[in-house]
Order: sequence, then C-alpha cells, then structure tokens
Amino acid sequence: MKSGLRGLIRGAAALVVALLTVPVSHAEAAGGTLRYAAVSEPAPLDVMLTTAGVSLVIGMHVFEALYTIDSHYQPQPMLADSEKLEDGGKTIIIALRQGVHFHNGKEMTSEDVVASLKRWAQYGVRGKLLFTEGSSVEATGKYEVTIKLPVPNGAWKNLLAHLEGGPAIYPSEIASKATEKPIEQADYIGTGPYMFKEWRPNRYIEIDKFDGYNARSNPGDGYSGKREANFDSIRFIPVPDVGTRVSGIQAGDYDYAETISGDLYDQLSGDASVKVVKAGAPLFGLFFTNSKAGILKDNFKLRRAIEMAFCRDDALRVSFGPQALWNAQGSIFPPGNFWYSTAGTDKYNECDPAGAKALAKEAGYDGTPIRLLTSTNYQTHYDQATVFVQQMAAAGINVQMIVVDWATLLKMRGQPEQWDMFITHHGGPPDPILLTFLNEGYPGWWTTPEITALRKEFTSTADITARKAVWDKIQTLYYEQTPAIKVGDAYSFDIVSPKVQNLVSPLFWPVFFNASFK
Amino acid sequence: MWSYALRRAGATAVTLAAASVIIFAFIHLIPGDPIYVMLGDSATPDQVETVRHTLGLDQPILVQYAAWVGAVLQGNLGHSIFYDAPILSVIADHAETSILLASLTMVWVLLIGVPIGMVTAMRHGSWLDQGLSGLAMLLASVPTFWVGLYMILIFAAWLGWLPSSGFPSLLDEGGLANLRYLILPSITLAAPNAALILRLTRASMLDVSREDYVRTARAKGIRPWRVVTRHIFRNALLAVVSAFGFTFAALISEAVVTETEFALPGIGRLVVQSILQRDYPVIQGVVLVIVVLYLLVNFLVDISYRLLDPRVELQ
Repeated sequence: MKSGLRGLIRGAAALVVALLTVPVSHAEAAGGTLRYAAVSEPAPLDVMLTTAGVSLVIGMHVFEALYTIDSHYQPQPMLADSEKLEDGGKTIIIALRQGVHFHNGKEMTSEDVVASLKRWAQYGVRGKLLFTEGSSVEATGKYEVTIKLPVPNGAWKNLLAHLEGGPAIYPSEIASKATEKPIEQADYIGTGPYMFKEWRPNRYIEIDKFDGYNARSNPGDGYSGKREANFDSIRFIPVPDVGTRVSGIQAGDYDYAETISGDLYDQLSGDASVKVVKAGAPLFGLFFTNSKAGILKDNFKLRRAIEMAFCRDDALRVSFGPQALWNAQGSIFPPGNFWYSTAGTDKYNECDPAGAKALAKEAGYDGTPIRLLTSTNYQTHYDQATVFVQQMAAAGINVQMIVVDWATLLKMRGQPEQWDMFITHHGGPPDPILLTFLNEGYPGWWTTPEITALRKEFTSTADITARKAVWDKIQTLYYEQTPAIKVGDAYSFDIVSPKVQNLVSPLFWPVFFNASFK
Repeated sequence: MWSYALRRAGATAVTLAAASVIIFAFIHLIPGDPIYVMLGDSATPDQVETVRHTLGLDQPILVQYAAWVGAVLQGNLGHSIFYDAPILSVIADHAETSILLASLTMVWVLLIGVPIGMVTAMRHGSWLDQGLSGLAMLLASVPTFWVGLYMILIFAAWLGWLPSSGFPSLLDEGGLANLRYLILPSITLAAPNAALILRLTRASMLDVSREDYVRTARAKGIRPWRVVTRHIFRNALLAVVSAFGFTFAALISEAVVTETEFALPGIGRLVVQSILQRDYPVIQGVVLVIVVLYLLVNFLVDISYRLLDPRVELQ
C-alpha cells in the first residue's frame, strides 16, 4: 500500500513536470490560424435560414451574395457585375461576374444563382420580402439572371445584399435539393475566400483559405470590394465565459474575442496587451407591444404613457456601462446613416412619470398587471427590463416580469394571449424593410391600416428620396402607435490581439478578409 | 456473488426503463422550441412549423417516445438537431474530455485528500489537524468558479505557464501533451472534492481507530504505522471508496461550471447547452448515458465492498 501510494505520487509529479515543460504555443507565423473566441456554438451555417449572430460571422467568410454592403451601408456588387432596371423597376436584369468558382471547383453561373434565389424565395427568412406572389427569377444567359416583380421594390438591392437570412449563392445541385431544413455540413459550399473544413462540437469550427478564390479588383470598402484571405485558416472556438475570453487573449490563446461586457471597456481600453474593436453599427433593445391581444391591443394612449415614463439613460447605463458604449437617441437608425431621421423623436426619452401617470389614467388603465416577457440569457435584456419595471412602478403602471430562458421566450411570444410586452434587440439593417417591427408576421403583429398603407407605399417605389420621405412618416407613426419601444443605441465591443493588423471595422459582424498577422 | 450480480443487473434494467420515461417526459415538458432557436429571432411561424414537421417534432409525444426507445434498443441514440451528427459520436467526443478531466481531478483528490486525511486523523487534536482541517473547510467553501478565475489569471494570463482554456483531443496534434489543458480545470475541481475526501478519510479513520480490534492490535505490539495502514486505513476505506465512486460520476456529469469557465468540450456543458437549445435528442441521449454511468458506478462500488472487506455479505 505504502509503496503503491509513493509510486502514484512519483508518477503524478513526473506527469506535471512533463506537461509544464511542454511549451504553450502562442506565436503564429504570417498566414497561420486566427483563433476567434465566440460566445457560443452557432446555429447551422445555412445563412438563408438563420439570423443567429455567430452563424453569420462564420457564414460571411464562406458564402457570398450578389451584393454586399460598403462602409457607408450602401449595397455594392459582389457576385453581380452590373444591373439594369426595366419596366419601371419591375424587371431587374443582373449580369454576373465571370470566373467565380465555388469551393468544389465548379464555376458559378446563372443556373446556380437562379436555384439559390428560388430556394431563398421559398424558404429563406427574408425571401418573401422580395419575392412576393407573382414574382419570378430565371436565367437569361449563362451569366445573366432576370428577376420579375409584380410591383417595383425599392429595397431589392439591399435585400439581395444582406446575408442575414439572406440570399447566399450555393451551387445549383445543393440549392435545388435544399428544403426548409438547414443544409448538411457537407454542403457548406460557397464562393467566399474561406471554405468550411470541419465542425467539432464545443471545440471549434474551422474554415480554411480557398486558393481558388477570384477576388474583385476594386479596393476593399466595408464588406465590398477586394477580399483577400491572408490567414491559412480561422478557428471559431466557443468560449462562453467572458472572463475567459479576455484572459485568453491576454494569455495569447486567442487572437480575437467577441462581445466583451461593458464594465471591462475602460480597463481594456488602456491595456496594451489587447486592442478594443467597437462595433460600427449599434444594436438597440426593443420592448415589443402586443397588437393582437391583451391590455395594450389598440390602446395607443397607454402605450404612449409607458413610452413617456421610460428614462433611457438609466436603463442604458445599467446594461452597458460607460457612456462611450451607448447613445440615448430616438432615430431607429443611428446618426450618419442614410435612414437617420428625427421624425417623431420628440416623444423619445421624455422621462416624465407624472405625465405618464395622468396619460395612463386617461387611457383607462386600472392597474391590471402588464406582462413583460424577458430572458436571462441576454443579461442586457434582463437589466433593461428590471430598470423598466421600476420606472413604470413610479408612474403607477404595474409591470409584471415573466423571466424565462430564451428558447421559452421565443416559443411564448408566438402565443399572443401569453404576454403584453417582450424584450429583444435588433441590429441596424441596411434597409428599414428588414426591421422586425415592420414585419406583420413578427410577434407584436403591427398591422394597423395606417402602417399597412405606409409599408406598401415604402416598398412600391425605387426612388430613394421618395422612400426616405416615406420612412420619415413611418417613424412618426411608430412613435404614435408604439408597436415597440426603442431603448437606445448600444455599441458592443470586441477585443483583438495587437498582432492582428488591417482589420475591417465591423459593420454588422467582424470579418477577417484582408486582415493578417504582423 | 454471481447471483447477486445478476439480481442487481435486473434491477438496473428496470431502473433504466423507468428513467427513460422520466427523461423523455421531463424534457418534452420544458417549454421552449428548438426550431426558433435554430432559425433565429426573425423566423416566421410558417417556417417554424415546416421545419418542425420535417424533424418529426409535430408527432404525438407517445409516438416520439416509442420511436426513440425503439432506436435506442438498436443502439441508435438519434441525431442531433443542432450538430447535424449522430448523438453517439457527439457524446463520445465530449466524453473524452469529461473522463480525462474527472480522472485527473481524482488523481489530485487522491494525492491530497487521502494522505492529509490520514495525517490529520493520526494527529487528531493537534495544531496540524486543526490547521489542515480548517484549510479543508476553506477549500470546500470557496466557489469553484472563483478558484478557476484566479487559476486562469495567475497561471495563464500572468505567468503564461499553462493554457487558459479549451482542450484539443489527445488524438489531435500535441497528443498526450494536450493534457496540460486540463491541469488548471482539474485542480479547480479537485479543491472542494479533495477537502471532502480529506474530511471523510479523517472521520472514518477516527471511527475505526476506536474499534476493539485496533486496540488489540496495538496491545499485541504491532508497529503503529502497520496498525494504521493494515488495520485502520483498510477498514476506513469503505466509506471513502463509496464517495470516490460517486464523486467520479458526478465530475463527469456535473462539472458544467468549470467546463464553461475553461471552455472545455465536456458532457456537463453539452447537457446545459442542449437544454438551452432544446436539442431534445442530445439531452435524452446524454442523460440516458449518465443514468447508465451512475447505475454502473453504484454496481461497481457495491461489488468492491466485498473485495475490500471479505466480511461483507452481498445479498
């Protein structure tokens, strides 16, 4: 027994010494593997069918669409070469780039584009926003496709440029057999500068440089222009704990870590071992109101009272920390964006509990609890909801929080009798038509005659100035009917190792085209 | 011995059948929807219903249960909704981490808990006993996430001696040297468990040392260390072995906080993640495997009693 124990001790000591003397590999040569610490495992990478963030970060490197977004959030050709509109915008003829290859070596032609757009039209998250009843897409040449719409759609190019639930181009043999179910991993074949290699659950997803990539010749600008894969591979590693993501960068175990908590912003901004990367576009929290059932249905006055009582600065400070990371402003789109508008925003952030109390009384509110669905999966949602409930109480409005996990919230919010409000968040899309509260099928179900008419007016013209004028009217109506309550703009931030250079400023998601190790 | 083993195996099968009903029912009773999680925030109800139909989740629950049990009996635990992979391979991939982590943790627990437990029992009431018992209490009280956080900060971020997180398989590049990824998490997990084993060893040895046969052995003039190792320690081991078995099983299934903190692809994290994503087949498969593991450990612990103490009768 004694000698056995001693042997065990000696063996363990020898093992520890051996393991400690193995050098921890930190250094990456030029090329090399970029290690990306992600918050979680992604949903399947079939980007037509998902809007999940981590999937899109990976998908942006593997898949491409006909158009993409430049640094000013304007659509620019990617797989498309040029386009012309006929018949007052109802016919869109798109010439494709030639010499573009898929990761399986096949050249992309109109056959692939048509099959992909048809699958997106039928099953894609956003496909029906463009391909309404009576639309069609067909090949009109080896490198030309023609889209026919029953009415002009001013958002067509933005819809074809936004990869989130968007029209990625897959090889026709994959797209034509794909259904509503996400495509299999073996079919993750796109035209992007990186190609899918393997997915090892809870370890990593690896994408490798695609040597056959045919880059555009115009200089890189946002997501548009020349895309060059300088890393041999990129590994997306799920690291759920934010402290570990930060320590991992400091220790040299990762090169990029996403979504760091706001309370670390000041500390990390002054830390030479990391570089802070602030998101280019904000996310904003939204408290949706139920237009289909319950106490808030059609009661715009009570919704206004709630809006009036809500002090955004407190909610944003509690949930995001330093003011550098948030901006309490009422335009749905941030300053500098083409769609930025001050229309109706005088009703934003009034912070008037007394006025709200009087308005609620006028609206016939009798203290009935207003059920607010929230989740702890997103800490910022929970923080904002907590502040919100307290502020409503000060205005005499009784809000009852129902705290569930995210999967439960997603299920419950589809049942209108279960809730009066729920909180989620939204990224700024390239076109207002992609805003969830404008989607009449999205929980909240804003379908008043006024918004239905404005929505129709907004999409039926291709003239950008006219569309902007209609958007101003929509935002005004948003503040009158309050289908959702915007909390404020919040800029998430990531951190990156100083050895990574030429990083493109993240527009929606970080991308690593053209970036490299020093 | 053999008839006992057969009877226990029969009881194990009945327990397993009952567990399968409970597992399936509880998982499907949780509200929430895997399809919404899969498709994201903007999916329309039509899209959700279509995918639900494709995956067979719109079938009556009894039909789904029968299909699951039928497949399990043929050795097929199902297919993960999220990973698009057979569940057995997903579990096998995660089991490697969990088994290695639990084993390494048990090595630390054994090396720290048992010897110090023996020393404190032999020096009962001394300053050494007080000091080490106090330390054990401290280790048992400090949350593992706190210990893990400082382990990462000191040994990975500041000193750079060990990796902060992750674990490549032993089959990957690096081979056995990849075990260094498990040193910090295993020490983190060992801290409270070593304290538990230490106190258990101490208490159990103190109990045994008051037995008549120990007094007799001492009266016969047997050397003190021999009395401790041959008469006290061996008889005190029964309780310690039980705790060892269940600590090992618990480490495989319940190390979720440490696995999350160190980004380890282990079973605990797989379960929690699958629950959050409502990946029903994975939850069912993993929980079933864990139940089997517990039943197996229970069975082996019972059998080991007999080996440790021939006086124990298995009935």
